[in-house]
Amino acid sequence: MADSTGRFGVGGLHFGIPNRRQFFQLGAGAAAGLTLPGHAFAQSERPSNPPDKPRGQVIAALSQEPTVFHPLMPGIEVDQGVWWQVFSLLWYIDPAGNFVPDLAREVPTIENGGLSADGLTWKIKLRSDVKWHDGTPFTADDVKFSLELINDSNFRARSRVGHSLVKDIKVVAADEIHWRMEAPYSPYMSILGSLTFIVPKHILEKVSDPNASPFHNAPVGTGPFRWGERVPGDHILLNAHTGYHGKGPYVERVVFKYIPDLTVLYTQFRTGQVDYTGLQGILPNFVQEAKTLKGRKIVVSSTSSVEHIAPNLEFGPFADRAVREALYLAINKQAIIDALYYGLPTQTESFVPQQAWSFQQELSQHKYDPAKANALLDAAGWVRGAGGVREKGGVKLEFTNSTTSGNAAREQTQQLLIQDWRAIGAAMRVNNMPAAVIWGDFWQQSKFNSVIVGVNFMLGSDPDVTPRFGSGAIPAKGGRGYNTYQYQSAEADRLLAQGAKQFDLAQRKATYGELQKLIRNDLAILPLFQGFIAEGVKEGLQGFRPNINTSINCWNIREWYWA
Amino acid sequence: MARYVVNRLAQAIMLLVIVSAIGFAILHLAPGGPLSQFAASAQMTQEDLDRVTRQLGLDRPLPIQYLDWFGRMLKGDWGRSYRDGEAVLSVISSHLGATLELMATATIIAVLLGCWIGILGALRRYSLFDTLATVGAMIALSIPTFWFGLVTIYVFSVKLGWLPAGNRETVGDGSLLDLLHHLIAPAMVLALVETAMWGRFMRSSMLEVINQDYIRTARAKGMPEWRILTVHALRNALLPMITVAGLQFPTLLGGALVAETVFTWPGMGRLFLDSIGYRDYPVVMGILMFSATMVLIGSLLADILYAVVDPRIRVG
Amino acid sequence: MATAALSTVQLAPGQAAWRRFRRHRLALAGGVIILVLVLGSAFGPYLLPFDDTYIDIMKRFAPPLSGAHILGTDELGRDVLARLMMGARVSLSIGFVAMMIAMAVGIVVGAFAGFYGGLIGAILMRLVDAVLCFPTIFLLLALAALTEPGLVTTTVLIAATAWMAVARVVEAQVRSLREREFAVAALAFGSSNLRIMFRELVPNAIAPIVVAATLNVAKAILLESYVSYLGYGIQPPAASWGNMLNNAQIYLTNAPWLAIAPGLAITLAVTSFNFLGDGLRDALDPRMNIP
Repeated sequence: MADSTGRFGVGGLHFGIPNRRQFFQLGAGAAAGLTLPGHAFAQSERPSNPPDKPRGQVIAALSQEPTVFHPLMPGIEVDQGVWWQVFSLLWYIDPAGNFVPDLAREVPTIENGGLSADGLTWKIKLRSDVKWHDGTPFTADDVKFSLELINDSNFRARSRVGHSLVKDIKVVAADEIHWRMEAPYSPYMSILGSLTFIVPKHILEKVSDPNASPFHNAPVGTGPFRWGERVPGDHILLNAHTGYHGKGPYVERVVFKYIPDLTVLYTQFRTGQVDYTGLQGILPNFVQEAKTLKGRKIVVSSTSSVEHIAPNLEFGPFADRAVREALYLAINKQAIIDALYYGLPTQTESFVPQQAWSFQQELSQHKYDPAKANALLDAAGWVRGAGGVREKGGVKLEFTNSTTSGNAAREQTQQLLIQDWRAIGAAMRVNNMPAAVIWGDFWQQSKFNSVIVGVNFMLGSDPDVTPRFGSGAIPAKGGRGYNTYQYQSAEADRLLAQGAKQFDLAQRKATYGELQKLIRNDLAILPLFQGFIAEGVKEGLQGFRPNINTSINCWNIREWYWA
Repeated sequence: MARYVVNRLAQAIMLLVIVSAIGFAILHLAPGGPLSQFAASAQMTQEDLDRVTRQLGLDRPLPIQYLDWFGRMLKGDWGRSYRDGEAVLSVISSHLGATLELMATATIIAVLLGCWIGILGALRRYSLFDTLATVGAMIALSIPTFWFGLVTIYVFSVKLGWLPAGNRETVGDGSLLDLLHHLIAPAMVLALVETAMWGRFMRSSMLEVINQDYIRTARAKGMPEWRILTVHALRNALLPMITVAGLQFPTLLGGALVAETVFTWPGMGRLFLDSIGYRDYPVVMGILMFSATMVLIGSLLADILYAVVDPRIRVG
Repeated sequence: MATAALSTVQLAPGQAAWRRFRRHRLALAGGVIILVLVLGSAFGPYLLPFDDTYIDIMKRFAPPLSGAHILGTDELGRDVLARLMMGARVSLSIGFVAMMIAMAVGIVVGAFAGFYGGLIGAILMRLVDAVLCFPTIFLLLALAALTEPGLVTTTVLIAATAWMAVARVVEAQVRSLREREFAVAALAFGSSNLRIMFRELVPNAIAPIVVAATLNVAKAILLESYVSYLGYGIQPPAASWGNMLNNAQIYLTNAPWLAIAPGLAITLAVTSFNFLGDGLRDALDPRMNIP
């Protein structure tokens, strides 16, 4: 089920480190990548080389079913797992946060003339040795077609953010394309580099309905794997594309196996029926045991989401900062992390992932202190009434908490919270809903009291959180962003405006550091821990590299091989 | 007879119209929508969501949407899945095979085993076998199917390691043996309730028959017992079973949904659950209409067949 | 699901007596078990030293019969026996209340359809047929999507999928009784239609109604477990047998008792109600047939 576990977003949006300085001159908020520290798992691998030609197969299990294969239409993370294999981007972002050219010959910068100094003119040089899976050569026309398709009013494009600014697309040569932007928009670099997969003109220009055609269920791309077959509800088979323009692929086949039940999924990984447990990975309660399995590697990696309790700041008691602080103090965070999540995640105080350059180290640290929480509430005038529930001025300290029903760990967290908070005279009630309901109007229009959710706050990987915390971004008040907390702060607005205008990394770091302190002290959110995923890989399968800058860690199956 | 059939058909079609209206209303009035899953992410802004809602025609008044859907359905166009863009009928048919495989296997087991138990129970009434069978059938009817499935997984997959914990086949294998291996547990679980049903029906049907005058007459005439059984009793006792087969269909389909969920079986039940979860309206409507049609055809056929084989039934 | 199998059997008088006795013994056992469950859920929680929602995270997954927890503890260190008893309250109440709602709706619809016949009758009964076209689980899930999960909604949902059989029974009874002399007599005395329907006709159908009601409780308990198992039912921290099972799923390998206890409880309760219903049918009207 689609869930806001945080592995969403436009993926990490990154600017190649060498180009960072120039890039900031574009004028909008730009970002460096989130970098993953060299993981221990990389060292444990025996040195070996990929085979000369594709050998063997990989069975990747997913707990959701990929169903959307047109990469420009609305899809969820699990669909991206397929897009990464079948299609290519102009450039992508590696785990270290660098832009790496793919269909483009180089990443455009002001230095290499790919971008004008005002950021309005883009000139992209393309590779000329790339072929579609059907043998047709890939050209600049395909790029033009893809960008125009996104803006086609008949086409159900996923998102036109950034793309709608693109004008006057000119195909200069088969391997070069230029366009003009209506306004400077530096995140576009990342939008192109994360999910704007290029689709074939020669096939799609002939279809009568751009939203439903044979292509939608037998896509043709330039990626390392070509479409094999799909057995709906069961699996998808992809075959190696031997004419692939990049490194790999080193396996003959990839099978994405849909196993809707995480327990069954783990059982099959344990018995060796699947080689890799993809999206949603291994349930925390199985990780301990999984690590003892012979011939299996378990990799726990961070995601860029932050698990937190989202208060609706316009809802009665939550408007009082003292209440939020008391509630925060009364949470036994360590018990949640250690018992319910088996010690896997790291606690956090910020909305910024700890791997990001903009992460603020010096935030006040949470301490579990119910006595202090009680004192705080007493001092703020919240008096215990009937049944031990506090109230102040006729407002009772009681509220509901919601999350996606069926998420066991979150439902358990809720029950711990009930007990923790009852101790300080706050009454919480559970009101969970299926994903299709909770993330609709209930969340978007701030109809909740409080919600447990994991969110990737970054705009790409940029810490510009105007859409999340800006006072003009409240959907319930007609705003266009995602400020469903209804957080309003003049100081935050000032910092956000200032940060978006700064070009110096150090200055930006200072500004967003201040902002993180402000959000932490205001307790606009009650942060719990940074998102994580535990994935299993069969020993001998080399090349698995979690990428915090993508939404799915099986982004690079092209580099996987059997030792 | 022809008039009867035409009459029943007309009624069935009217029922389908009511079913479609009820189903459509329930689905579309439910909170949430097909785009909520995207709203959870920052991939699509509110503006994008509003645009796609418009493009899907989901912003129109409900009655208009219903009439539009209904009109298309009459022309054989059941719409396309919001998830993979495939035509609804092809989505259903691609999941149907797995479900039919499960249902057919379970039914065969249930009919054979159930009839055997029922007949034997009726012939040796109040014997230990009959008592055990009666109590056993009642317990079988009372066990939650999914729980029985979980226990089966625990015993045969987790503890003994004899059977796979789910799925229809091992990826890349798919041989007959492999398919059968995967089929055993879910078919067994689904067959449990069915067997109990068939056993109970068969027993009472058989009891009714062997107490009829013509059986007593035959017996009085000194006809050998096995001949009485096969020629008279069994034939007449099996007649009402035709109705059972028709009326059992909804239960069977419901049971299949549960068994598919427990054993991650890639069939219609799974599809239905997923489609409800994603609010894939066209597919959910398609499955509701499809199953309602099957249910109606089942009961219609049962009635007609029964009328044909049993001349005592007056049709009109 | 469990209610459909019914029989009409003609028997020799001697056999019938033996049969009834035997049947009644099972029905009696069912009744006793139900009584025990009801009393246990009503008073049991007061006899235990544990609260059903008290979390002791350090003592999670204690196996049964280890220490003070007779049936062990669950994933949050709560006492399983306490939860089972509190869960019985929820599951049994849902069973009873859903049955009563279903009965009320079914009787009213059936009585009106049977009494008036004609167009009203036809419309009402076609509605019954239409709802019966949905396999119960499908209808339940579609309806569950419509509402927020909870105690009240779950009860109403289950009732909404269970009233049709009763409506059919009552309709058939009322239709056949209507023409008989006492209805005609009542009409002659100038009683109102409503009075005739619910004072004269419906009480004559009481035998099948009681039987259907009993079997309906069994069905409702079973349905509660299905709905909660699929995640649309009773919300935490309240326990119901269904959501206990739902939560136990992912711990099946390490803590199987979490799934076994509520599963057995459901089976026991449902079997008891089914036996009771079967016995009542035989006792009240051996020749009765309910679709």
